Parts: sequence; C-alpha cells; structure tokens
Amino acid sequence: MSLKDKIESVRNQFLADIESFPTSQQEIEDLRVTYLGRKGQVASLFSEMGSLSAEERPKAGQWLNQLKNELTEQFESKVNEADKGSKSHDPYFDPTLPGIAPPLGSIHPLERTLQEIKNIFTSIGFHIAYGPEIDDDYHNFSALNFPEHHPARDMQDTFFVTPDTVLRTHTSNVQIHLMENEDPPIRHIVPGRVYRNEAISFKSYCLFHQVEGIYVDKNVSFGELKGVLEYFVRQMFGPKVKMRFRPSFFPFTEPSAEVDIWSTERNQWLEILGCGMVDPAVFENVGYDSSIWHGYAFGMGVERIAMLKYKIDDIRHFYQGDIRFLEQFK
Amino acid sequence: MIISKQWLKDFVSFDYSTEELADMLSLLGLEAEVDTEIAPMNHVVIGKVKKTEKHPNADKLKLCTVFDGIDTHQVVCGAPNVDAGQTIVFAKEGAVLPGNFKLKKVTIRGVESNGMVCSERELGLSDEHEGILVLDDSFEAGESFTDVIGPLRASVELDITPNRPDAFSHLGVARDIAVKSQQELILPKALPIKSTGNTIIPIQMENADDCPRYIGGIMNNITIGPSPQWMVDRLQAAGQRSINNLVDISNYVLLELGHPTHIFDYDKLEQKEILVRRAKSDETIVTLDEEKRKVSEGQLLITDGKTPIALAGIMGGHGSAVSEKTTSVLIESAYFDPVVIRKGAKSLSMQTEASKRFERGVDPNGADFAFWRVVNLIQELTGGELSSPIMDVYPNKIGAPSITLRKSELNLIAGCEIDNPFVESTLISLGFELSSGKDEWTCIPPTFRPDIEREIDIIEEIIRVFGYDNIPTDSHLYGPYRMGEPDPEAFLNPFRHIMVGFGYRQAYNNSLQNENVSQLSGKTAIPMMNPLSTEMAFLRTSLLPGLIQNIDFNTKNGSPDLQLFELGNVHHKWGEGLDNLDESLTLAGMATGSYSSASVHGTGVNHSIFTMKGILSQMIESHLGFRLELKEAEHSGFSLCWSIVINGKPAGFMGEISSSWMKALDSNLSSVFGFEFSFKPWQNMLKGKQTFKPINAYPKVPRSLNFVMDESVRVGNVLSHIKQKGKKLLISAKPDDIFRDEKMGENKKSVTFTLEFQSPVKTLEDKDVTPIIDEIIDVVSNKFDAKLRS
Repeated sequence: MSLKDKIESVRNQFLADIESFPTSQQEIEDLRVTYLGRKGQVASLFSEMGSLSAEERPKAGQWLNQLKNELTEQFESKVNEADKGSKSHDPYFDPTLPGIAPPLGSIHPLERTLQEIKNIFTSIGFHIAYGPEIDDDYHNFSALNFPEHHPARDMQDTFFVTPDTVLRTHTSNVQIHLMENEDPPIRHIVPGRVYRNEAISFKSYCLFHQVEGIYVDKNVSFGELKGVLEYFVRQMFGPKVKMRFRPSFFPFTEPSAEVDIWSTERNQWLEILGCGMVDPAVFENVGYDSSIWHGYAFGMGVERIAMLKYKIDDIRHFYQGDIRFLEQFK
Repeated sequence: MIISKQWLKDFVSFDYSTEELADMLSLLGLEAEVDTEIAPMNHVVIGKVKKTEKHPNADKLKLCTVFDGIDTHQVVCGAPNVDAGQTIVFAKEGAVLPGNFKLKKVTIRGVESNGMVCSERELGLSDEHEGILVLDDSFEAGESFTDVIGPLRASVELDITPNRPDAFSHLGVARDIAVKSQQELILPKALPIKSTGNTIIPIQMENADDCPRYIGGIMNNITIGPSPQWMVDRLQAAGQRSINNLVDISNYVLLELGHPTHIFDYDKLEQKEILVRRAKSDETIVTLDEEKRKVSEGQLLITDGKTPIALAGIMGGHGSAVSEKTTSVLIESAYFDPVVIRKGAKSLSMQTEASKRFERGVDPNGADFAFWRVVNLIQELTGGELSSPIMDVYPNKIGAPSITLRKSELNLIAGCEIDNPFVESTLISLGFELSSGKDEWTCIPPTFRPDIEREIDIIEEIIRVFGYDNIPTDSHLYGPYRMGEPDPEAFLNPFRHIMVGFGYRQAYNNSLQNENVSQLSGKTAIPMMNPLSTEMAFLRTSLLPGLIQNIDFNTKNGSPDLQLFELGNVHHKWGEGLDNLDESLTLAGMATGSYSSASVHGTGVNHSIFTMKGILSQMIESHLGFRLELKEAEHSGFSLCWSIVINGKPAGFMGEISSSWMKALDSNLSSVFGFEFSFKPWQNMLKGKQTFKPINAYPKVPRSLNFVMDESVRVGNVLSHIKQKGKKLLISAKPDDIFRDEKMGENKKSVTFTLEFQSPVKTLEDKDVTPIIDEIIDVVSNKFDAKLRS
C-alpha cells in the first residue's frame, strides 16, 4: 500500500471511530493515543518517511502534516462537543426545571446575637467564662452584696430549689466563682441562661439569657466603663446611635447606671443594659483588697438586644421553635 | 410612686415641663415617666349645671342646661351623678377630646344635645367613667380646662430603687431637684404647739431594737368632714382618692414627707396605753381592710397593753380605726426596724405604703417632724386640739456614721477631677455635715439616707449629681494581655455549624417543664420550691421532649418536613444539695418527613435512623476523627434505639422516637427520629492539636467483591471483618449495592462491597492486594456462610 493509501485508510478509520464518540474520559484518551499519541497511527506513518526517497519526502510530509492537523482538529471539536454534555444533544432537555436544593439550616437569633456580643468584647481583650445555672444563695445573692431581708432581693423574683439553692437570677454568680479562683486582673464576659419567677407575657419569660462583664484592675474608672460600653453599643447598634448613662442601683455595683439608647422610631429612650463600678463589698467577699483593686461590671439581656436589633415584638417567639420564626434568621 | 408636679413646687421652684421634669429626675437616678400631662384642648371649659330635667323619651338620660361663662346650652347626659349646681367640665361643639373624639351637635332620642359633660376618662385623666367629673365650685365658668386643671393634675411616676427610701416622698424628690438646680429647699410647716391638756398615757416597747422610737399624741374636738379641695387635688394627682379630712391627713403626710404615721380612734382603745411587742402564738387581728389575720409568732404588734390594735409599720387595726364619728385620736409617729417590718410583711404577704417605706428605712429623727406636721394639719383642717404633750419615747438616739471621703478616691473612681466647691456644696445641700481636711472630708450623712454608710456611697452621690454625662469617656484599653483561647466553649461552634450545614434549624426551648415530661428520661428532675405553675415546675433532664413539641407544633402548622436541633444544658439529681446534681451541656437533633423531597429529578430521601446515623458519623468520625460506635440499646424514648459511644465513652442515644413518648407529649406523629448526646464524657479529648499529614499521591486501587449471603447476615458485621482483614492498606470499604433474586435461593441477598487500597509508601500492585482480597474472601465465606459471585 502506498503511503497515500495508508493515509486515506487511517483517516477513514479515524472518522469511523469518532462517529460514535466515547463518553468516558479513559476511552477518549485511548482514542487520542491510538491516533495522535506518541506511538499512535499518525506517528507511525511519520516514521515511514525515512524509507522514502528525497523527492517524495516533502510531498509526504505535507500530506502527513495535513492529516495530523485534520485529525487533531476533528478530535478536539468532538471533545468540545462531548464537554458540553450529552444532554445538550437532547432536544427535550429542560434547564428551566428547579434545582436540586439541599435543605437550609439556621442559627437561632439569640445564638447569633450572643455571638456578636462575644465577638465585640473578645476583640477588646475580654475572655469568656461560664458557670452553673443552679447555685447557692451565697454566690447568687449574698456575695454580691444583696443582704438577706433587704428590699434589693425583691428586684429579682427567684426560683428556689431549696431554701438555700436557687436557679441563678443573673450570671453575676460567675463573677464570684471567677474571683474566688483567680487573682486580678480579671477581664471577662459571662454569658448564660438565667431564670426569673415572673409571669409570662410578651415582654417577660421565666428565663432569659444574660451576658455579664467584669473588669478588675488597679485603676479602673467610670470613664473607662463609659468607654467600653459606648464601644459595645455603637458596634452593636451602629456608630450614630444616641445613648445615655443614667444613675441607678444594683447591690453589687456603686456607682451604678442604666444605659439607654434613643429610639427614633418610638421617640423614646430604651433601657438596654445595667452597669457600674464593682462595689468594694464584693471585693471583700472574694478576698480582693478593695483599697488596691477597682473594677467595673455590666450586664445585658441577649433577648432584649435581639428584640431591639431585629424588631421582635414578643419575647415568647424565641422559645417556641416555630420554624416560621426560626427560618427568618440565616 | 406618683409625684405631683404642683406639690413639688411647694418645696422647690422650677419651671420645667412635665417631660423635662421626668428627664431630669431620671438623670438623677430617680427613674421617671410622665404619668399625667393634660394636652391643650380647645373648646373644653369649666361649666356650671344650671338645671337638670328628665329626658322626655329616655328614663336614664337627663336634659341639662349648662352655662359656659357666656351662653347656656342644652346637653343630654347619661351620667347618674349629674345634678344642678355642679361645676363640671364642658366640652363644647368643635372640641376634640383625647382619642380624636370630635364633638358635634347631635340628636339623642329626639332631643338636640350641644356638647358634653365629661367624665375623667373622656378627658384622658384616668379610667374613671362611672360618672362625670365634678369640680370644686371655686372654678369660674368659661375658664379653659387645660389652663386650670392641667397644672393641678400634672404628675410623673417614679420607679424608686431600694437604696433611696428618701425619694418615697415629694419632699425627698424636691431635695434632689434643689441640689441639682442649686435652689433652696423649702420645708413644709411642722411647728410644735402647746397642748391644751395634760393627758399622758404609758408608751412602752418590749424591745427598743424592734421599735427604737415611738411618738404619741392625743387630739380632741375633731370634726370629721371633707378635705379641702387643694388636698383632694393633690391626693388625686398622686393617685389617691380622698376619704375624709382625718384619713387624708395621714396619707398626705406620708406622700409629702415619706414618714408613715397612724391615727387611732382614741375612744376605741380599751386600755389607754401603748405596748409595742412581738406577737405570741395564736394571736389574730382584724386589719383596716376588714381581713381577719392570724399573725405568726414574732410579728411586731402595737397593742393597747393587751390586744393588738395594729400590725406595726404595716396596717392599723379595724377595731381602733377612725370613723365618721371620731372626735379624739391618738397619733402615732414611730420608727421601726426595717428588717423586722420586712419579715413581718413578707410572712403576711402584705405590702402597704407604710411597710414599703419602713422596710427601706425611714428617718428615725424625722418622726417628730412628721408628728407635728400631722398635728398642724389636724388643727387646721378639723379644728382638733392637742390635749397631751408630745410623748416621745426614744431611748437610744440613732445617729449616722462618720465617713472619710478621699479626694483621690473620688477622682480615681470618676476618672476625672471634680473640684472641691462642687463636692462641698453638693454634700451640704444633700444634708451632710461636713468638715474638710487635707485632700479629704469627714462627712456625716443625714439620717434620712440610711443607705449611705461608706466612702463609695458618698462618691456615688457626688457623681450622680455631677451627671454621668459630664464624666469624660475614656476610650482606651488598659491592662495586661491575657493568654489562651478566650472562649472555653469555642469547641461547640463546629457542632452548631455542622448541624446548620446539614439543614437543621436551631431551637431554644424552655428549661422548665411539668413533672411528667421532665421525668420521661428516667432521670430524677430537679423541682422548684415555688414554681410559676405545675407546667413549669421541674428542670428538663433531656432536650428531646422540647424538640418533640417543636416538631409537633410545626407539623400542625403546615411544615411536615423538619430538621431541628438544640444545644443546651440539662439537669438531674441523685440526692440533695449542689454536690448531688449534674448540669450537662447536651446536643440533640430531631427530624421527620423527608430530608430531600421527591421531585422531577427523582425520588427523595425520607428521614430514618440512617439520616441520624449519617449525621453522627459525619460529625464524630469524619469531622472529629473520633471513633463512633452505635450499640443496640433500650431506652423508653426510642422504639429503635442505639447508644452513642464516642471514643469508647457512652455519651447518648439515637433512634426512632417511641410512641409512648409521643403520646406523653400529646403528639400522634410517627416516624420522628432523633439523637441526643452530652459532651462531658469525652469533651476533654477535643483538645488535641490538628497537624498536617502529607498528601498520599500513590494511586488508589479499587476492587469490588460480590457475596451472596443469607438475609439474616448483617452487612455491618461483614464490613467490620473486611476492615479487620484489610489491614492498613484498605482505606475504605462500603456496601455498594444489595440485590435479591430468586435464582440465588430463598432468603438470600447479594451484596457488592467496594474496597479501596492505598499504600503511603509505594504504588500497590496486584501481588500486594490479591493476598488481602483472598483473606477477605476466606473470612467472609467462612464466618457468614457467604458465596463469592464472580
């Protein structure tokens, strides 16, 4: 067979083989190797060039290059077609059908809000501490300077497990545990679930989540407390929010304050957290020398912050597990 | 407490609007809101009812002729108390009343009515709407209602913190305003007067610690009658109804000075003496509210020597109460120990205006001032005469501590320099006695401020008056760095993210449940001594019941396909006391319906124990790289149940929720699947560091094995034998297909296993893999009586 005939035969064979173009990558690769590989049919025809005369060689070279280009081109165009997917060849393929969607999960709005609070405070050097939900009267009240038989105890309606054991009414019990176990300086926030024996309504529930914060060091001032809370409030509610510190009373801080933010929507001040300078009596109770150590503390309800942030009008939504509520928080 | 703006002006002058007043008080630490503020209303005037007649067509209506200062109008009125001669509030045609109620000329039962005679509710003053508001006749017809009544009724409501007993009075609130605005505080008139007689009765205290001071005084020739209008207006503005001149005086002085006093009908005292003592067992007293109360032993009583005549500091007795016929009285102005009063009021579940003040602490040295204030008012308003000298039993005078205030500490706490003149003038006008030393002051607080005992209490007073907003904000971070992971619960974050990634929604459920639900898990739930209700009397021992209720709620609300999870604490106890209970951080997931629903793309996947198993496997094995074992187990919550064992530590359960639990939670759902595990048993293993392992670039060698085996053979058991024989070269083995055909014989199945081999050190060849395959075939064939299909 002359070279010309051989070329023709390889070409025809190739055209027949790509007619039903394979779908698997391995078979496509095999096909390429058979014709265009280093030891493929085209290469073997090139190797026959050596046996040709000098006059025949340019012509044969031209033919073979032509063959090589033609096969390569055809092969690649077939590969491209195959890449587009066999379905594109299906005249009835319908890309307008809906996608195959995995189910969506969601983080609870209180978890999200708590995470935001944690991020803001850890970004300015606070660590996080946790503690027990059931505690003794001492850690929940007495050590925090709530004297027994004092009207201050009426500020928090308490669930009792025994006459001396309570469901904590705030996470402030953890500041006592923390200071009992660690020497100052201390800079922590304490998130957690707390309980109040209050009738359930749109604005109060028998439990809520609190984040308390405490900073103890040698020279700590009310000015610094203002600084840290202004930072928090503006990170949380936006840099332009109007806020004020208003004198108040908590047994474990003095001076004490409530922080209000201005609601332009409701045209009124809304209370968002309580704070103050740690009362020296608290330091004495945990064995810190109050002539050396000073500190500030603050506490906020995660529910309250979330309700303000997301404009939720009924606290009970948080605990009903209603997915029509949950799915709104991504 | 409601504070009348006009009343305050007796003691300090100011011209704030009611809203400004509320704001100012709030910024002084007396949280205030506007209580009553009458908005300007046009065409609402003082009117006089000239005459009333019966409505011709309606029994309950009256035709009134009302004079508005210029004209008379015919008005139809339905109020039962309307009468000729009254001074009333008249809303003329064109007036707009609160609630945007516009008055027009109307015809009522065939008679024309021009305007309205108003009730308190219609004017937005209160909820009172039984009858019309009848005013003092001193008001002139035609005067604007807003102008004349507005100032009388304007008030703010205070939410007083427990540290401010002094603010439970108009005088105390006025003092704060005077201090802040640097005005003079004007005290009310309370002048000692000479007695006309010399009656003295014995006054004794069983224990002077319970009742350190008791002042008594007798007044005669009292004429009971209505109180003057100014007193009625003030009491009304402060939210109290007028009763008669004598009763009103005691209430008035309480609201004015914050010192409770009590007035006994002297003639009703069986024995003319006073003995303050603790109750013995089995004593009873009928109190003013006509309740017969059994008092517990130790309750502090005022007695006439024998029988109780009052619950000291809480409420007077009915038997000795003043009435319309009273002519002589015994006035009590005392000081009782705050804790004694608080315990007594608590044990009786009573809280009165008096007990609220005594338990916070009134001024022991203000008792005589309050006494003379009452005496002066009785003299002035009832014609009474003091027939006894003041009987003041006060064996040990109560003083206030002397406290040193350091300038350095004040400035350190404030974070700025507060100058000496401000400190001094503030403390003096708050009532402190002051002497200054070098960079410090010696301060004696007034006895009406029992909350001030230490230096920090004085610092608070100064900063409060200085104004929190005037303290410069310090926006710097100070103090040492703290090493370590800031959040000890950071390890929980991946679990939340995995659950959310798998399509689960996070729920937060109530920790308080009823007894049945909380005990479902078989653990002993912790009960509350004082629950809100039986439905919320125990702490949850498991997260599953809450999630079951969520699933049921959502299914009933049209969502049949659900995935929910909760991460929270559960509690249980095995004895009494804090050492015999457990608080455990727990993760639970629950699902029902389809995980992916059937669609045009094919059939969906329904939730089953395998979707639970898949999550656990991905979370524990693939994510954490921990060993997960699921062992068949028994648990009342699951009909099909496996215990979850993580790295050898039993941690929880998974399976299909049992019908008995569904029933216990009032749900009739089935095919609900869930898991729950706690972190405590294995949490400490999470601390391992993650390190990079070199990527294995040697090729994986796939193999497939197909066995025919009895239906009773469990694929999991076969797999574990395959894995055992596969040694380290077998990197994965899983069942690919299960096929059944009659030709294989009865109760037979064919299972295809796909195996992958890979070596970390070389390219595997047949000679490496074949012997392992042979061993696997051998063990599977022998152990499970399985036949290899070629």
